Amino acid sequence: MSAEPLLRVEDVSKTFGSGRTAVRAVDGVSFVTSGGEVTLVMGPSGSGKTSLLSMIGGILRPTAGRVSIGGVEVTSLGRRALPAVRRELVGFVFQTFNLLESLSACENVEIALNIAGLRGAAARERARRLLCEAGLEARLDFNAADLSAGERQRVAIARALANRPRLLLADEPTANLDTGAGREVMRLLRELTQMKGHAAVVVSHDPRLRRIADTVLRLEDGRLRQPSHPPHVRVA
Amino acid sequence: MVPLARRNLFVEKGRFAMSVAGVAFAVVLVLIVVSLYRGWSDVGRFYERLPGQVWVSQPGTSDPFHSTSFLARADARRAASIPGVRAVIPVYARHIAFSRRGKTLDVFAMALAVPASLRSSAGTYWLPRGTIDVDRVLAAQASVGVGGTIDVLGRRLRVIRIHHGGNSIFQTAFLNAGDARALFGIDGLVNFLLLDLRSGTDPARVSAFVPRVLPGTEAHTAVQFATSFGDRVTSGFLAVVGVLVGIGFVVGGAVIALTTYTAIVERAREFGVLKAIGARGGFLYRVVLEQSLIVGVLGSALGILATVLVTRLLSDSVPEFITVLRPLDALGVFGAALVTAVAASYVPVHRIERIDPAEVFRP
Repeated sequence: MSAEPLLRVEDVSKTFGSGRTAVRAVDGVSFVTSGGEVTLVMGPSGSGKTSLLSMIGGILRPTAGRVSIGGVEVTSLGRRALPAVRRELVGFVFQTFNLLESLSACENVEIALNIAGLRGAAARERARRLLCEAGLEARLDFNAADLSAGERQRVAIARALANRPRLLLADEPTANLDTGAGREVMRLLRELTQMKGHAAVVVSHDPRLRRIADTVLRLEDGRLRQPSHPPHVRVA
Repeated sequence: MVPLARRNLFVEKGRFAMSVAGVAFAVVLVLIVVSLYRGWSDVGRFYERLPGQVWVSQPGTSDPFHSTSFLARADARRAASIPGVRAVIPVYARHIAFSRRGKTLDVFAMALAVPASLRSSAGTYWLPRGTIDVDRVLAAQASVGVGGTIDVLGRRLRVIRIHHGGNSIFQTAFLNAGDARALFGIDGLVNFLLLDLRSGTDPARVSAFVPRVLPGTEAHTAVQFATSFGDRVTSGFLAVVGVLVGIGFVVGGAVIALTTYTAIVERAREFGVLKAIGARGGFLYRVVLEQSLIVGVLGSALGILATVLVTRLLSDSVPEFITVLRPLDALGVFGAALVTAVAASYVPVHRIERIDPAEVFRP
């Protein structure tokens, strides 16, 4: 576990709309996380978890505050520079997997490598290796639509890790999975995070995820409450 | 590189097949119109296939089909004295409309009084009395074959040959010169004189010399008549061709744009995912362009093949339908279809620009 924070979130806020209809989805959130750590952000629906995740990943621009990943201040970058952040620094895992249905498991991972500029046999080989690490060696050429929910989420994790990101962002990764598949995905997230040394921020309702988290943060009405999982929590 | 464009198209095979068929249909429409245009433009070449290289006529004649002309028969003897002229062929020509089995047939009838000296080379145009040589369109319209007879203005003529060359606006028949004089009711007159030149003689120089020997006449080379005729036919037709070709390309472009656009709208979330995982605009636009080009290339290739088949079938079943499908035209339409495919990808690209990657977080 590295001592230097890999992710630094400083006083980040997000307001949607303006005037009387303005909604403050995230309000002055700050925390840090280091390589090899899993940070779990919990909270009820509408508490601002997904907005926070979107801002960390450079998909949504904060109204105020700063986000830095590996020393790169994401919030100061222009619109054109953000795809590079999402390509190189961050890997996303979504609640609904968001695989490309017309592609095979292997192609779903390979396309992420293509987007980052790796092509041909090298991309194919790396995609296969990642899927094997995710325990999908028997499903490489299966169409994404033909995989079980748990298998799809494992493909999504392999895709998220394809370009060796510094930070993995997972939005409700076990929400659509049964108990067994959920446990398998949690194990994979934990193992891969420790093995590859990236940081992971997971937002979820699922209390089972506490088991794999080094830090648990609680978000309510856009504000961060006292951490509920004491050992590793560090508030910036 | 993952073939995303191909997969996106092939995942909906029925729609993909219909899109390719739609583009093919547009290409067939464009190519048939262009082929018809080419076929009609070539109608004037008829004058170049006749024996003789210089036509003598009354002044103000555009070509024998579109204007009439009368010359004294005695002019033929004087024309023979023009330097470079090997033989003079008096020509009788006019439109004749006649009824056959309740149907009015219109034919451009010609008779070439081919002199004995030319019968070995131009004997095809010399016909015995009481016979007629009709083109295949007229034969089909008159339902007559070789050996059959046609009654033309009270004179029964036996069909001795059927030639190619007729189309929907221009059917030809060749008669014996004596029969023509009797049918046309002109004695002591001819309509044109066709000069057959000695080898190496310049037709333009002879043309320029003709009025000096035959005052009150003018001369045209066969090439001039052919060009004048082609221009007259196509000038009226060109605007229609332009409109139809334009409609064809608009239909083809709309089919491509609609197919690609629908494929993108249906997969908007997937394009959002690609944006979320860092795909640049160029990467996504390439997918769209590839989708458009796949539909464009396959549709155009299928359209060209279909046009070859359709024109062959039509020329057999509808003889008036004269088309000339030139490889260069097919290549041009193919290229234009690809340009249309590229242009058609503009709308879907615009749609992709508006996809918000944050949508991917919605369950």
